[in-house]
Amino acid sequence: MNKVPIDEILNKVNGIKITHKRKTRIRVDVDADSLPTLLELIKGRASYIHLSAITCVDWIADNQFELVYHVWSYEEKCLISAHTRIDRGSESNPAKYVSVYDLFKPADFFERDIFEMYGVTFIGSPRMEKFILTEWNGVPPMLKDFDAEAYVQETFKWTDYNPDWLQELTDQGGGIAVKPEDIRTAGNTHNMSTHRERDKAKAAAVKANEKMQGWKQ
Amino acid sequence: MKKELKIIQKERTNPLAHVFDDFISFCQSKSLFMLHYCTGCGAIELPPAMTSRFDMERLGIQPMVTPRQADILLITGYVSIKTLKRVILTYEQMQSPKYVIGICSCTVNGGMYWQSYATAKKLNEYMPVDVYIAGCMPRPEAVMEGLQRLKDNIRNDKKEHKGSAWKDYFNRYDYYLGNQQALFGDDWQTPTDIIAEAKLYDLETEETYGKHTKLLEKHQTPLLPQEMRIK
Repeated sequence: MNKVPIDEILNKVNGIKITHKRKTRIRVDVDADSLPTLLELIKGRASYIHLSAITCVDWIADNQFELVYHVWSYEEKCLISAHTRIDRGSESNPAKYVSVYDLFKPADFFERDIFEMYGVTFIGSPRMEKFILTEWNGVPPMLKDFDAEAYVQETFKWTDYNPDWLQELTDQGGGIAVKPEDIRTAGNTHNMSTHRERDKAKAAAVKANEKMQGWKQ
Repeated sequence: MKKELKIIQKERTNPLAHVFDDFISFCQSKSLFMLHYCTGCGAIELPPAMTSRFDMERLGIQPMVTPRQADILLITGYVSIKTLKRVILTYEQMQSPKYVIGICSCTVNGGMYWQSYATAKKLNEYMPVDVYIAGCMPRPEAVMEGLQRLKDNIRNDKKEHKGSAWKDYFNRYDYYLGNQQALFGDDWQTPTDIIAEAKLYDLETEETYGKHTKLLEKHQTPLLPQEMRIK
């Protein structure tokens, strides 16, 4: 049987963008509508039979979820990562997508995991219920707008530990050279809407860096 | 009618009573069986502590496989909320006197997982802890040091009331139950009837009961022996 080049198969899908990362890695960007078609094609026409993972990325600024389907071929020794974006939804109207369980049976667990961690409902998946976090009743914890630190601060208590030898450091302003808040604001510049906010964050980052240098010396 | 079982504390008239007490606590401290509940990375320090390099057995401490036959519950590392349920079940199965050792910073204060929504932070909110061994992870020397500390506490139990943290679970059950209910929900119930045990050991105080134990009574399903049959 003649081997059909993978690009030829992939190009049958409308609006596809193919990027050859390496010999063993192909990145594919498709619309949410044509992703099941793509998976069916690469499973049926090429030898991509192993769905090794489905990952989800929360793009909160774009109000979108990115779903990445990683499909491996044992014959080609190549991994196709199919990226697609779906609407992020809201609390009253959670995100929905179609399940690929009928194509790849392991999708059951991956979809259940994403349902638990991000709240995306996969229509057609056999068990859309709790998976690992059986004790958890809050919002899906991997969402960017879930503040784990605030949750922890209001749920748990802490052990006090104030020995004498630590007192000297505490008087100097604590042992933390750069406060976590500064790092976080410095890293999140792309999410900020106004220039003023961005400048403020950058100034904080520079200040934090200077402080760190001082501590190193 | 439910039969009330109670150990009656006899009046101590023997002039040598304290000598026997000392002797008993001495013997207890020299023979300890340890159940290691390896939840996190701290478990990796236990094999060298147990085996020929540091040799825990020279302190009289041996590993044991079941909670019912163990004296020490060693928790090595972070305790996720899901694991905490199992840890509490394991702890309640153990026979008194029982001792808990929390290894690693995670059992003290959440350690490097302090921001995580899924891990419990302070172990001694949910069960009385005798000794904490802080470190990330503590070296086997530190583990041995902690075990030695526990031994000393047991040895001086009667004199200074040190090694009796396990009594606190019965004395202040309402407090521990309240913290457990806050995490697991109001219908939380373990297969062990702690209040009945507290009565049996004559360890109940005013703080054994409270609003949390009332809540437990409301939801509690009676604990019946399981039917023995072959299907």
